[in-house]
Amino acid sequence: MPARTPAEAVQAYRASISRVLSCLTTAHVDVGGGYAPSAAPHALIMAGNDAVALRGASRLTLAVSEHYTITEDSDAGWQVHRAAYFYAIGLHDTGELLAYHWHPRGKSPVVDPHLHVRANIQLGERWLGKVHLPTGAIELEDIVSLAVNELAVEPLREDWELLLHENRA
Amino acid sequence: MATRTDNEIRELTPEQGQQLLDDKARQYLGISGEEFRIRWEAGEIDADDEPDVMRVAMLLPLAG
Repeated sequence: MPARTPAEAVQAYRASISRVLSCLTTAHVDVGGGYAPSAAPHALIMAGNDAVALRGASRLTLAVSEHYTITEDSDAGWQVHRAAYFYAIGLHDTGELLAYHWHPRGKSPVVDPHLHVRANIQLGERWLGKVHLPTGAIELEDIVSLAVNELAVEPLREDWELLLHENRA
Repeated sequence: MATRTDNEIRELTPEQGQQLLDDKARQYLGISGEEFRIRWEAGEIDADDEPDVMRVAMLLPLAG
């Protein structure tokens, strides 16, 4: 059902992100900027953008943040659109392993979604960790699915697969 | 494994957002939040300069 107000759209977006995060962590989410549409993006930040520990033998961590804008579409009502994201999977006591970035604003010439692999490998004059590996748009649901299905992270809720499926719909 | 409720969502004031930005800029980059903002807006810092720049830059909208 289309959102009738900016507040409805933002609340639905925030609740959706919170629900997806609850599959892996109990960490809180900070938001700001209220519900007013503006050219400048709003932010949603999990746990101050710190890496939070995930359950499981792999001893991984996760950091999540998104920027979003609020727009009105004549047919679809008020909608929230992601404007940037930062999803980082790390290893406890070691630091970032994989960093999924999308930052279309700012100085960087790379404005498309990309992945940094924080491996200490030199490729000519560059380090692999600095290389922007193109990814296409990554969803938070993709990160949760990757963590559980491939990286030995234990989900915190039994209905995580159903929840991801519903969120993607 | 019990079914859990969703995670807490906290609405920060611009002042709380500025404090969070300052805390994390100092923690991760060793500079104040205000210095980070000035250098970011001047184009002196790139999101991909080092791993923690993006982590801090994502906090900028919270600070108003």
